Amino acid sequence: MTVKFFATYREITKCAQMNIAPPKDVLALLIELCEKFPAFYEKLLTQDRQALGPDAIVLVNGRHIVHLNGVATTLSEQNVVAVFPLVAGG
Amino acid sequence: MFFAGKGTMSKQLIIKPEKCVGCRTCELVCSFGHTEQFNPCLSAVTVMDYEQAAVSIPIMCLQCDEAPCLKVCPVGAISRNENGAVVMNAQKCIVCKMCQNACPLGNISYSPITRKVFKCDLCDGDPKCAKFCPWGAIEYVEPQEDLDRKKAVAESFKEVFGEGA
Amino acid sequence: MGGWIGKLLRVNLATGEIKKEPLNMKAANDYVGARGLGTKYFCDEVDPNVDPLGPDNKLIFMTGPLTATAASCSGRYEVVAKAPLTGTIGAANSGGHFGPELKYAGYDGIIFENQSEKPVYLFIHNDIVELRDAEELWGKTVYETTDMLNETCGASFRVACIGPTGERGCLYSGVMNDKHRAAGRGGLGAVMGSKKLKAVVVRGTGSVTVVRPEPFMDAMADARAKLKAHPVSGAGLAALGTEVLVNVINESGALPLRNWRDGAVFDKADDTSGERLADTYLVKNKGCFGCSIACGRVTRVPDGPFASFGEGPEYEAGWSFGADCGVNDLAAICKANFLCNEYGMDPITLGATIACAMELFEMGAIPEEDIGFPLRFGDAHAVVNLTEAVGKGEGFGEILALGSYRLAEKYGHPELSMSVKKQEMPAYDGRAIQGMALEYATSNRGGCHVRGYLTSPEILGVPLKTDPLETEGKPALLKLFQDLTALVDSLGLCLFTTFGIGLPELSAQYREAIGSDETDEEILLKGERCWNLEKRFNIAAGVEKDTLPPRLLREKLPSGPAKGKVAELYEMLEEYYTLRGWDKEGVPTADKLEQLSI
Repeated sequence: MTVKFFATYREITKCAQMNIAPPKDVLALLIELCEKFPAFYEKLLTQDRQALGPDAIVLVNGRHIVHLNGVATTLSEQNVVAVFPLVAGG
Repeated sequence: MFFAGKGTMSKQLIIKPEKCVGCRTCELVCSFGHTEQFNPCLSAVTVMDYEQAAVSIPIMCLQCDEAPCLKVCPVGAISRNENGAVVMNAQKCIVCKMCQNACPLGNISYSPITRKVFKCDLCDGDPKCAKFCPWGAIEYVEPQEDLDRKKAVAESFKEVFGEGA
Repeated sequence: MGGWIGKLLRVNLATGEIKKEPLNMKAANDYVGARGLGTKYFCDEVDPNVDPLGPDNKLIFMTGPLTATAASCSGRYEVVAKAPLTGTIGAANSGGHFGPELKYAGYDGIIFENQSEKPVYLFIHNDIVELRDAEELWGKTVYETTDMLNETCGASFRVACIGPTGERGCLYSGVMNDKHRAAGRGGLGAVMGSKKLKAVVVRGTGSVTVVRPEPFMDAMADARAKLKAHPVSGAGLAALGTEVLVNVINESGALPLRNWRDGAVFDKADDTSGERLADTYLVKNKGCFGCSIACGRVTRVPDGPFASFGEGPEYEAGWSFGADCGVNDLAAICKANFLCNEYGMDPITLGATIACAMELFEMGAIPEEDIGFPLRFGDAHAVVNLTEAVGKGEGFGEILALGSYRLAEKYGHPELSMSVKKQEMPAYDGRAIQGMALEYATSNRGGCHVRGYLTSPEILGVPLKTDPLETEGKPALLKLFQDLTALVDSLGLCLFTTFGIGLPELSAQYREAIGSDETDEEILLKGERCWNLEKRFNIAAGVEKDTLPPRLLREKLPSGPAKGKVAELYEMLEEYYTLRGWDKEGVPTADKLEQLSI
């Protein structure tokens, strides 16, 4: 499963994307990323580590998880997950 | 290493041009803080822009240890206050503008609106420019030896002006 | 007086007469300033059916009550005229330092009337206001003009000017200020050119005050602290600029590809992204007057065929010269963007026009001899060369200078102009972001994203998250965004403040500056008033109905998360009109106009 990183998150991961075995769901993925890159802790997860952090955007196949099943959205081999900090422009 | 105020450790305005984005917020809060008017011409700090080098630098009085303006004032209207700032007494000032001429760096201004000379007075120890600068280009801190910064500035000069600089 | 100076310049370019008149304070209070007030003056004084490039069109520069104060991001002013590209009321907003300088000189705005026989520029130094001969400046680029005027008048003068494209009547030439900032869309530069007005140069040493100084400082400090605390306005935009959007919009399947012909997912998008720019050509970021956000890009391409230096590119130019043309060469995109600043042209319309020409050529609708070479998607050199050709008014550039609608119409396929009311839609595919489809269709100056930027809630989740593929709730949300944007545009503040602060913080700064006790809602109403005034003008001017190109209404997206979608405009349009208090045809009712005291 492909996980892509964007904007300032690339400074944390030092790469634009990686291929990993699909975790069970998005929450499991976020926890795995935080364990791999501890700088993600305050960003990807809330304090209680149960939900997506307020300044992060996670898309699964281009759809924001809030329109899917939140952090309980299940993942599989074919998915492409994109992880962004909150960004904006015009 | 310069400290403002003879022999005492005190805060100074430290400028980091690499952080300046050229927004001139410092000019606005300085003029407003002193005169209740938004007017860069009444500001003691001015941002100088260098387009080709892509650099902007806020410039204000450096509160010289041996202040020429203080020395040259014929009526003793300039003195140093408890924050180490070189300040002007508006009542004593006769607006001869000798201080403006004496400053080697051009950091004393004359306002035709208020008909007074003025300069940075460190805002009674809580300088507004440092308070409102959004990017830390102006900070009011105790000065420290900073060789890393010197090296970084030298590097960027080399980049802009070429290896031979 | 708080915020305002209370004085306007009125310049008759035919007679040379310059008047200083009091600002209409009732209009200023009803319409806030800048966009609203400029539009009010315009609508009161100009017949909606004037020829935009004729002598009866007026060109208005108007600042806001917060311009030149320390309010959050307070450098903005508006240019208002009937827009040559669209025939709508055209108003374009710009940053930099020109607007504040005008207020320091003692004027809230300038109204230019009629046309000069010979090229002139307006010189303003506090009380001294004169029209001067611009023969030596005519034909010069924006950079040359600005440098020459700083040389003659003084380094501290600020310059707003047009490039050669404005002189020539390119329908999307803009008014540039401080070299790299633009009142860009709709062709207001051509209006200025038709008046033979080359530039306005201004130096001011006066002051701007506020009615309630201490409360104003508190409101201002509060707004600035909130902007700093928000990740977008406090750090993100400074680090990566607006180009940071390329990847998130692409991942959301909404980055229009090859004149919107090939869907909205670009496999090479990352090559044109803010991340790539920061890794390669970015020198540093930059802020406009009074701005803590500092999203501007100072960029240098050091070598190669596109070696250049300037500001930008922003997300829009990154797309219009990038994905829209099927190009992924960031150096070429930078170069094309700098050329737009140098010659004074709107990069959105220009890139989209080139893209339209590419599609027309590939389908055999444009003969090669008209262009001079085969023009295909993906050709970075062609993008730069054609941009230069438009700038210089050479060859195929002369036809491209008319914009994509007139280009496509000339070659028999007006439906392939990706435009609304003849102004090209920007970088968000309305099939993947339904709210943007509604914004494009209903925006008062044609295909425009910025005035109803629903991308913010739909994709970015600011200030709340809505589903980009759904139509429900979008009409109400759009009305709010359009009204709020009109308010921000009228205050003289930058729209990007709305990423970190909202109506309460904007209203607080406004109230304390002008000494008002109006509520937030009463202040927001002024934005709605501006919107309705614009709409009424457009209807009287015979502007076409609100719709979208057939491609958006009928061609399903072939891939990405929005695969299979079209723009469901008609599911939203009627509800939008109802919420606006308009009839089924989208005409403001008499009741609505009365309620808003228009």
